[in-house]
Amino acid sequence: MENSGAQLAQETEWIKRAQRGEPEAFGPLVEKHQQRVFSLIYHLVRRRDEVEDLAQEIFIKAFRAIRSYNFQSSFATWLSRIATNHCYDFLRHERASRVSFYWQMGEHSQQELETNAESKPEQQLDHEEQTVLKDLVAKLLDRAPENDRKILVLKELQDYSVEEIAEILNLKPTTVKVRLHRARKRMLEDLRQWREENKGHAL
Amino acid sequence: MRCDDIRNRADEVWEGEETAEFRQHLTQCPACAGYYRDLRLVRSGFRLLKREEAVAPSLGFAERLVRQLAEVSKAPSVADFFERVGRRFVYATFVLTCLVLLALALPPTGPVRGLTAADIQMSTQEASLAYSDPMGDTNLQESPDLAPEDSPAPAVPNEVK
Repeated sequence: MENSGAQLAQETEWIKRAQRGEPEAFGPLVEKHQQRVFSLIYHLVRRRDEVEDLAQEIFIKAFRAIRSYNFQSSFATWLSRIATNHCYDFLRHERASRVSFYWQMGEHSQQELETNAESKPEQQLDHEEQTVLKDLVAKLLDRAPENDRKILVLKELQDYSVEEIAEILNLKPTTVKVRLHRARKRMLEDLRQWREENKGHAL
Repeated sequence: MRCDDIRNRADEVWEGEETAEFRQHLTQCPACAGYYRDLRLVRSGFRLLKREEAVAPSLGFAERLVRQLAEVSKAPSVADFFERVGRRFVYATFVLTCLVLLALALPPTGPVRGLTAADIQMSTQEASLAYSDPMGDTNLQESPDLAPEDSPAPAVPNEVK
Protein backbone atom coordinates (compact mmCIF):
# COMPACT_ATOMS: atom_id res chain seq x y z
CA MET A 1 0.00 0.00 0.00
CA GLU A 2 3.08 2.22 -0.12
CA ASN A 3 2.76 5.05 -2.55
CA SER A 4 5.70 7.06 -3.75
CA GLY A 5 5.25 10.82 -4.15
CA ALA A 6 5.16 10.59 -7.96
CA GLN A 7 2.58 7.78 -7.90
CA LEU A 8 0.45 9.73 -5.47
CA ALA A 9 0.64 12.86 -7.64
CA GLN A 10 -0.32 10.80 -10.67
CA GLU A 11 -3.24 9.25 -8.80
CA THR A 12 -4.40 12.69 -7.64
CA GLU A 13 -4.34 13.87 -11.25
CA TRP A 14 -6.47 10.88 -12.36
CA ILE A 15 -8.94 11.49 -9.56
CA LYS A 16 -9.29 15.19 -10.40
CA ARG A 17 -9.88 14.38 -14.05
CA ALA A 18 -12.44 11.73 -13.11
CA GLN A 19 -14.11 14.31 -10.86
CA ARG A 20 -14.47 16.51 -13.95
CA GLY A 21 -16.39 13.59 -15.51
CA GLU A 22 -13.68 11.92 -17.63
CA PRO A 23 -14.24 8.13 -17.56
CA GLU A 24 -10.87 7.53 -19.32
CA ALA A 25 -9.09 8.92 -16.26
CA PHE A 26 -10.94 6.44 -14.08
CA GLY A 27 -9.46 3.49 -16.02
CA PRO A 28 -5.97 3.71 -14.48
CA LEU A 29 -7.56 4.03 -11.03
CA VAL A 30 -9.51 0.82 -11.66
CA GLU A 31 -6.36 -0.96 -12.82
CA LYS A 32 -4.42 0.19 -9.80
CA HIS A 33 -7.02 -0.82 -7.19
CA GLN A 34 -8.91 -3.69 -8.83
CA GLN A 35 -6.90 -6.50 -7.22
CA ARG A 36 -7.49 -5.22 -3.71
CA VAL A 37 -11.17 -4.61 -4.40
CA PHE A 38 -11.61 -8.11 -5.87
CA SER A 39 -9.89 -9.63 -2.86
CA LEU A 40 -12.05 -7.66 -0.42
CA ILE A 41 -15.23 -8.65 -2.22
CA TYR A 42 -14.21 -12.29 -2.27
CA HIS A 43 -13.42 -12.34 1.44
CA LEU A 44 -16.66 -10.63 2.34
CA VAL A 45 -18.98 -12.49 0.00
CA ARG A 46 -17.08 -15.75 -0.68
CA ARG A 47 -18.87 -16.34 -3.96
CA ARG A 48 -16.39 -16.53 -6.84
CA ASP A 49 -19.15 -16.24 -9.42
CA GLU A 50 -20.37 -12.95 -7.99
CA VAL A 51 -17.06 -11.14 -7.51
CA GLU A 52 -16.64 -9.58 -10.95
CA ASP A 53 -20.25 -8.35 -11.16
CA LEU A 54 -20.00 -6.83 -7.72
CA ALA A 55 -16.66 -5.22 -8.58
CA GLN A 56 -18.19 -3.66 -11.66
CA GLU A 57 -21.09 -2.25 -9.62
CA ILE A 58 -18.70 -0.93 -7.00
CA PHE A 59 -16.48 0.87 -9.52
CA ILE A 60 -19.51 2.41 -11.24
CA LYS A 61 -20.79 3.56 -7.85
CA ALA A 62 -17.35 4.99 -7.05
CA PHE A 63 -17.20 6.86 -10.37
CA ARG A 64 -20.62 8.38 -9.75
CA ALA A 65 -19.66 9.41 -6.24
CA ILE A 66 -16.12 10.52 -7.02
CA ARG A 67 -16.97 14.23 -6.71
CA SER A 68 -17.62 13.57 -3.01
CA TYR A 69 -14.06 12.26 -2.53
CA ASN A 70 -12.22 15.08 -0.75
CA PHE A 71 -8.67 13.65 -0.42
CA GLN A 72 -9.02 13.44 3.38
CA SER A 73 -8.37 9.69 3.38
CA SER A 74 -6.47 7.65 0.81
CA PHE A 75 -8.35 6.73 -2.36
CA ALA A 76 -7.90 3.02 -1.53
CA THR A 77 -9.57 3.52 1.84
CA TRP A 78 -12.43 5.50 0.30
CA LEU A 79 -12.92 2.78 -2.32
CA SER A 80 -12.82 0.04 0.33
CA ARG A 81 -15.59 1.83 2.23
CA ILE A 82 -17.80 1.79 -0.86
CA ALA A 83 -16.93 -1.87 -1.53
CA THR A 84 -17.64 -2.95 2.06
CA ASN A 85 -21.03 -1.22 2.13
CA HIS A 86 -21.97 -2.55 -1.30
CA CYS A 87 -21.07 -6.14 -0.35
CA TYR A 88 -23.24 -5.84 2.73
CA ASP A 89 -26.17 -4.64 0.70
CA PHE A 90 -25.64 -7.75 -1.44
CA LEU A 91 -25.28 -10.07 1.55
CA ARG A 92 -28.47 -8.82 3.14
CA HIS A 93 -30.28 -10.45 0.25
CA GLU A 94 -28.13 -13.54 -0.19
CA ARG A 95 -27.04 -15.49 2.82
CA ALA A 96 -24.66 -18.42 2.27
CA SER A 97 -25.37 -21.93 3.46
CA ARG A 98 -24.64 -22.45 7.14
CA VAL A 99 -23.70 -26.11 7.03
CA SER A 100 -19.99 -26.61 7.61
CA PHE A 101 -17.69 -29.49 6.61
CA TYR A 102 -16.37 -29.37 10.16
CA TRP A 103 -19.63 -30.68 11.58
CA GLN A 104 -19.67 -33.47 9.03
CA MET A 105 -16.40 -34.83 10.41
CA GLY A 106 -16.35 -37.52 13.07
CA GLU A 107 -15.54 -36.36 16.61
CA HIS A 108 -12.18 -38.09 16.41
CA SER A 109 -11.29 -36.24 13.20
CA GLN A 110 -12.38 -32.96 14.74
CA GLN A 111 -10.10 -33.51 17.73
CA GLU A 112 -7.25 -34.52 15.45
CA LEU A 113 -7.70 -31.36 13.42
CA GLU A 114 -7.76 -29.23 16.58
CA THR A 115 -4.56 -30.88 17.86
CA ASN A 116 -2.84 -30.49 14.50
CA ALA A 117 -3.93 -26.85 14.17
CA GLU A 118 -2.49 -26.22 17.61
CA SER A 119 0.82 -27.98 17.09
CA LYS A 120 1.67 -27.34 13.44
CA PRO A 121 1.84 -24.22 11.29
CA GLU A 122 -1.38 -24.18 9.24
CA GLN A 123 0.41 -24.68 5.93
CA GLN A 124 1.61 -28.08 7.17
CA LEU A 125 -1.92 -29.36 7.62
CA ASP A 126 -3.03 -31.73 4.91
CA HIS A 127 -5.22 -30.46 2.09
CA GLU A 128 -8.45 -31.80 3.55
CA GLU A 129 -7.74 -30.30 6.96
CA GLN A 130 -6.97 -26.97 5.35
CA THR A 131 -10.24 -27.07 3.41
CA VAL A 132 -12.23 -27.92 6.53
CA LEU A 133 -10.57 -25.19 8.55
CA LYS A 134 -11.10 -22.53 5.90
CA ASP A 135 -14.71 -23.59 5.54
CA LEU A 136 -15.22 -23.50 9.32
CA VAL A 137 -13.91 -19.94 9.64
CA ALA A 138 -15.85 -18.82 6.56
CA LYS A 139 -19.04 -20.17 8.12
CA LEU A 140 -18.24 -18.59 11.47
CA LEU A 141 -17.77 -15.30 9.65
CA ASP A 142 -21.07 -15.83 7.93
CA ARG A 143 -22.77 -16.35 11.30
CA ALA A 144 -21.06 -13.33 12.87
CA PRO A 145 -22.91 -10.03 13.29
CA GLU A 146 -22.31 -7.63 10.42
CA ASN A 147 -20.00 -5.27 12.34
CA ASP A 148 -17.87 -8.15 13.65
CA ARG A 149 -17.54 -9.60 10.20
CA LYS A 150 -16.50 -6.34 8.58
CA ILE A 151 -13.81 -5.69 11.15
CA LEU A 152 -12.49 -9.27 11.09
CA VAL A 153 -12.31 -9.39 7.30
CA LEU A 154 -10.53 -6.05 7.09
CA LYS A 155 -8.05 -6.96 9.82
CA GLU A 156 -7.46 -10.69 9.44
CA LEU A 157 -7.95 -11.20 5.72
CA GLN A 158 -7.19 -7.84 4.11
CA ASP A 159 -4.37 -6.91 6.48
CA TYR A 160 -5.52 -3.34 7.03
CA SER A 161 -4.06 -1.54 10.05
CA VAL A 162 -6.30 -0.42 12.90
CA GLU A 163 -5.97 3.19 11.69
CA GLU A 164 -7.02 2.26 8.14
CA ILE A 165 -10.01 0.28 9.43
CA ALA A 166 -10.99 3.28 11.54
CA GLU A 167 -11.05 5.42 8.37
CA ILE A 168 -12.98 2.83 6.35
CA LEU A 169 -15.62 2.31 9.02
CA ASN A 170 -15.72 5.93 10.26
CA LEU A 171 -14.67 4.95 13.76
CA LYS A 172 -11.96 5.98 16.20
CA PRO A 173 -8.91 3.67 16.32
CA THR A 174 -9.58 2.90 19.99
CA THR A 175 -13.14 1.85 19.07
CA VAL A 176 -11.75 -0.42 16.36
CA LYS A 177 -9.43 -2.10 18.89
CA VAL A 178 -12.28 -2.68 21.32
CA ARG A 179 -14.58 -3.98 18.58
CA LEU A 180 -11.88 -6.27 17.22
CA HIS A 181 -11.32 -7.73 20.68
CA ARG A 182 -15.05 -8.31 21.13
CA ALA A 183 -15.46 -9.73 17.63
CA ARG A 184 -12.74 -12.33 18.22
CA LYS A 185 -14.17 -13.20 21.61
CA ARG A 186 -17.69 -13.52 20.21
CA MET A 187 -16.45 -15.73 17.41
CA LEU A 188 -14.83 -18.12 19.88
CA GLU A 189 -17.99 -18.16 21.98
CA ASP A 190 -20.02 -18.84 18.86
CA LEU A 191 -17.75 -21.75 17.94
CA ARG A 192 -18.23 -23.24 21.38
CA GLN A 193 -21.99 -22.78 21.21
CA TRP A 194 -22.11 -24.18 17.68
CA ARG A 195 -20.10 -27.20 18.83
CA GLU A 196 -22.63 -27.81 21.61
CA GLU A 197 -25.49 -27.60 19.10
CA ASN A 198 -23.78 -30.08 16.77
CA LYS A 199 -22.49 -32.52 19.40
CA GLY A 200 -24.96 -35.22 18.52
CA HIS A 201 -24.63 -34.65 14.79
CA ALA A 202 -20.92 -35.39 14.33
CA LEU A 203 -20.39 -38.57 12.34
CA MET B 1 -3.05 -15.92 37.15
CA ARG B 2 -6.85 -16.03 37.07
CA CYS B 3 -8.82 -17.45 34.15
CA ASP B 4 -10.36 -14.00 33.44
CA ASP B 5 -6.89 -12.46 33.12
CA ILE B 6 -5.89 -15.26 30.78
CA ARG B 7 -8.97 -14.84 28.58
CA ASN B 8 -8.37 -11.09 28.39
CA ARG B 9 -5.05 -11.83 26.73
CA ALA B 10 -6.76 -13.30 23.70
CA ASP B 11 -5.64 -10.40 21.47
CA GLU B 12 -1.99 -10.83 22.45
CA VAL B 13 -2.18 -14.58 21.87
CA TRP B 14 -3.94 -14.00 18.56
CA GLU B 15 -0.98 -11.83 17.54
CA GLY B 16 1.40 -14.61 18.65
CA GLU B 17 2.57 -13.25 22.01
CA GLU B 18 2.53 -15.97 24.65
CA THR B 19 4.30 -15.63 27.99
CA ALA B 20 5.68 -18.53 30.04
CA GLU B 21 3.17 -17.68 32.77
CA PHE B 22 0.36 -17.96 30.25
CA ARG B 23 1.58 -21.36 28.98
CA GLN B 24 1.90 -22.64 32.52
CA HIS B 25 -1.70 -21.67 33.27
CA LEU B 26 -2.89 -23.60 30.22
CA THR B 27 -1.17 -26.77 31.40
CA GLN B 28 -3.10 -26.52 34.68
CA CYS B 29 -6.49 -25.31 33.42
CA PRO B 30 -8.39 -27.48 30.92
CA ALA B 31 -11.08 -24.81 30.38
CA CYS B 32 -8.57 -22.14 29.34
CA ALA B 33 -6.61 -24.74 27.34
CA GLY B 34 -9.82 -25.53 25.40
CA TYR B 35 -10.52 -21.84 24.89
CA TYR B 36 -7.07 -21.22 23.43
CA ARG B 37 -7.23 -24.41 21.33
CA ASP B 38 -10.29 -22.89 19.68
CA LEU B 39 -8.51 -19.58 19.28
CA ARG B 40 -5.59 -21.20 17.48
CA LEU B 41 -7.97 -23.22 15.34
CA VAL B 42 -9.82 -20.09 14.23
CA ARG B 43 -6.61 -18.13 13.80
CA SER B 44 -5.21 -20.89 11.58
CA GLY B 45 -8.41 -20.82 9.54
CA PHE B 46 -8.07 -17.07 9.06
CA ARG B 47 -4.45 -17.42 7.98
CA LEU B 48 -5.39 -20.08 5.45
CA LEU B 49 -8.23 -17.96 4.11
CA LYS B 50 -5.90 -15.00 3.81
CA ARG B 51 -3.48 -17.00 1.70
CA GLU B 52 -6.25 -18.29 -0.49
CA GLU B 53 -5.99 -17.04 -4.02
CA ALA B 54 -8.58 -14.35 -4.52
CA VAL B 55 -10.53 -14.00 -7.73
CA ALA B 56 -8.52 -12.07 -10.30
CA PRO B 57 -10.15 -9.56 -12.61
CA SER B 58 -10.69 -11.00 -16.07
CA LEU B 59 -8.59 -9.68 -18.93
CA GLY B 60 -9.70 -6.21 -20.03
CA PHE B 61 -11.91 -5.63 -16.99
CA ALA B 62 -10.78 -2.01 -16.62
CA GLU B 63 -11.24 -1.18 -20.34
CA ARG B 64 -14.74 -2.66 -20.40
CA LEU B 65 -15.63 -0.73 -17.29
CA VAL B 66 -14.38 2.56 -18.75
CA ARG B 67 -16.47 2.00 -21.89
CA GLN B 68 -19.48 1.33 -19.69
CA LEU B 69 -18.78 4.44 -17.63
CA ALA B 70 -18.60 6.55 -20.78
CA GLU B 71 -22.11 5.35 -21.69
CA VAL B 72 -23.38 5.77 -18.16
CA SER B 73 -22.04 9.31 -17.83
CA LYS B 74 -23.74 10.37 -21.09
CA ALA B 75 -27.24 9.49 -19.89
CA PRO B 76 -28.46 11.33 -16.79
CA SER B 77 -29.22 8.74 -14.15
CA VAL B 78 -32.41 8.43 -12.13
CA ALA B 79 -30.32 9.03 -9.02
CA ASP B 80 -29.07 12.33 -10.48
CA PHE B 81 -32.63 13.37 -11.22
CA PHE B 82 -33.77 12.65 -7.68
CA GLU B 83 -30.70 14.35 -6.32
CA ARG B 84 -31.50 17.51 -8.31
CA VAL B 85 -35.19 17.48 -7.40
CA GLY B 86 -34.36 16.65 -3.80
CA ARG B 87 -31.93 19.54 -3.56
CA ARG B 88 -34.54 21.97 -4.94
CA PHE B 89 -37.11 20.64 -2.48
CA VAL B 90 -34.71 21.24 0.40
CA TYR B 91 -34.01 24.81 -0.77
CA ALA B 92 -37.74 25.55 -1.18
CA THR B 93 -38.51 24.17 2.28
CA PHE B 94 -35.70 26.25 3.75
CA VAL B 95 -36.94 29.48 2.14
CA LEU B 96 -40.52 28.77 3.21
CA THR B 97 -39.42 28.08 6.79
CA CYS B 98 -37.47 31.36 6.83
CA LEU B 99 -40.53 33.27 5.60
CA VAL B 100 -42.78 31.71 8.22
CA LEU B 101 -40.26 32.45 10.99
CA LEU B 102 -39.88 36.03 9.75
CA ALA B 103 -43.64 36.50 9.72
CA LEU B 104 -43.91 35.17 13.27
CA ALA B 105 -41.03 37.31 14.49
CA LEU B 106 -42.46 40.62 13.14
CA PRO B 107 -44.30 42.93 15.66
CA PRO B 108 -48.08 42.75 15.31
CA THR B 109 -48.52 46.05 13.41
CA GLY B 110 -50.27 45.19 10.19
CA PRO B 111 -53.86 46.02 9.35
CA VAL B 112 -54.81 42.39 9.94
CA ARG B 113 -53.10 42.17 13.33
CA GLY B 114 -55.62 44.26 15.35
CA LEU B 115 -55.34 47.76 16.87
CA THR B 116 -52.06 49.12 18.22
CA ALA B 117 -51.75 51.74 20.96
CA ALA B 118 -51.32 54.42 18.26
CA ASP B 119 -54.50 53.27 16.50
CA ILE B 120 -56.45 53.43 19.77
CA GLN B 121 -55.14 56.93 20.52
CA MET B 122 -56.07 58.10 17.03
CA SER B 123 -59.60 56.70 17.26
CA THR B 124 -60.05 58.30 20.70
CA GLN B 125 -59.09 61.68 19.19
CA GLU B 126 -61.53 61.21 16.35
CA ALA B 127 -64.31 60.31 18.77
CA SER B 128 -63.70 63.33 20.96
CA LEU B 129 -63.68 65.59 17.89
CA ALA B 130 -66.99 64.15 16.78
CA TYR B 131 -68.53 64.95 20.17
CA SER B 132 -67.17 68.51 20.27
CA ASP B 133 -68.38 69.30 16.74
CA PRO B 134 -71.53 67.43 15.96
CA MET B 135 -72.05 69.57 12.84
CA GLY B 136 -68.86 68.19 11.34
CA ASP B 137 -67.14 71.51 10.45
CA THR B 138 -64.31 71.16 12.93
CA ASN B 139 -60.83 72.27 11.96
CA LEU B 140 -57.62 70.89 13.42
CA GLN B 141 -57.07 73.80 15.79
CA GLU B 142 -60.14 72.79 17.75
CA SER B 143 -58.58 69.46 18.76
CA PRO B 144 -57.65 69.56 22.50
CA ASP B 145 -54.22 68.05 21.82
CA LEU B 146 -53.32 70.34 18.93
CA ALA B 147 -54.85 73.60 20.16
CA PRO B 148 -52.55 76.38 21.47
CA GLU B 149 -52.05 76.28 25.26
CA ASP B 150 -53.64 79.72 25.85
CA SER B 151 -56.86 78.93 23.99
CA PRO B 152 -59.76 77.67 26.12
CA ALA B 153 -60.60 74.03 25.98
CA PRO B 154 -63.67 73.24 23.90
CA ALA B 155 -66.88 72.86 25.81
CA VAL B 156 -68.12 69.32 26.26
CA PRO B 157 -71.87 68.87 26.40
CA ASN B 158 -73.18 67.98 29.84
CA GLU B 159 -75.03 64.90 28.70
CA VAL B 160 -71.82 63.34 27.44
CA LYS B 161 -70.29 63.51 30.93
